[in-house]
Amino acid sequence: MQDVQTKPNGPAAAAFVAAGIGSTVLGIFVVLNEVSPDISKFLDFSKNYGISSGVGALSGKALLATLAFIVSWVALHFYARGKEVNFSRWLGVALVLVFVGFALTFPPVFEFVVGIFKPAA
Amino acid sequence: MELTERELWAVIHGLGLGTLFLLAFAGGLAGIWSLREKYLTTEGMQERSPRLVLGTTIMAVVAWLTVITGTFIVYPWYRAKPPEGVSLTDQAGLGDYPRYWLLAGDKTAEWHKFGMEWKEHVAWMAPFLATAVAFAVAYYGMQLMRRGDVRRAVLIFFTLAFLAAGVAGLFGAFITKAAPVA
Repeated sequence: MQDVQTKPNGPAAAAFVAAGIGSTVLGIFVVLNEVSPDISKFLDFSKNYGISSGVGALSGKALLATLAFIVSWVALHFYARGKEVNFSRWLGVALVLVFVGFALTFPPVFEFVVGIFKPAA
Repeated sequence: MELTERELWAVIHGLGLGTLFLLAFAGGLAGIWSLREKYLTTEGMQERSPRLVLGTTIMAVVAWLTVITGTFIVYPWYRAKPPEGVSLTDQAGLGDYPRYWLLAGDKTAEWHKFGMEWKEHVAWMAPFLATAVAFAVAYYGMQLMRRGDVRRAVLIFFTLAFLAAGVAGLFGAFITKAAPVA
């Protein structure tokens, strides 16, 4: 019923997965910021590129995650537009990515992950 | 009775935009959940659909404005460094430097180490999730009532956006209570 009378689900699936990618990228940069002083300096877009002032590494984390969200959405949209995709699978991927994002922004989790990588850094 | 510029922006960010997003959630959730053919007549759907598109779009815009004002206007005041010579272990001299004031106290340090660290990051997930929801609602419009799979995804992402914004809002309120940006 729903396949013949409605628009294809590809574009909606693309938007959800892109939101998951943005969330995961945010979480990854939260960890990288703590692991590497060089990456932390790079992420200070407020100082490096004059985007506002005094925001620190959060400026880079937020802007790069937003960029990942937008770029991945555009790419996935063009890939999936006009298509009826396996929505359950796409939604599952999106939810895993969002969950990873939530986990890596939760201080006890990202501190644990940082503890794994930091001795080798 | 007056507000400083910093207090005004903190109010716009948290009490204005943030609260608007959180309050609008219940109405949006009920609207999306009941978007089913068996519950609605065609006339009812035609009446409700534009309101739902407008509501979710406004929520996505508000989510973006909330994190942008919070990150690029209010947050720098929160993390401002005290000048050289000011003791970082004595809260008495750190009243104008909320982050350092919190870290200087054994009973307040966790508000920054746990609360602010979580809030400042998880908040940025809310606009991603809310934008995906707004797009799906706008893309399908009335057809959403015939797409149970997409409607369920919209409900899940809408709830996740609320949770992300809720965590940020809750800790924002607690941290502002403990160490206001003034």
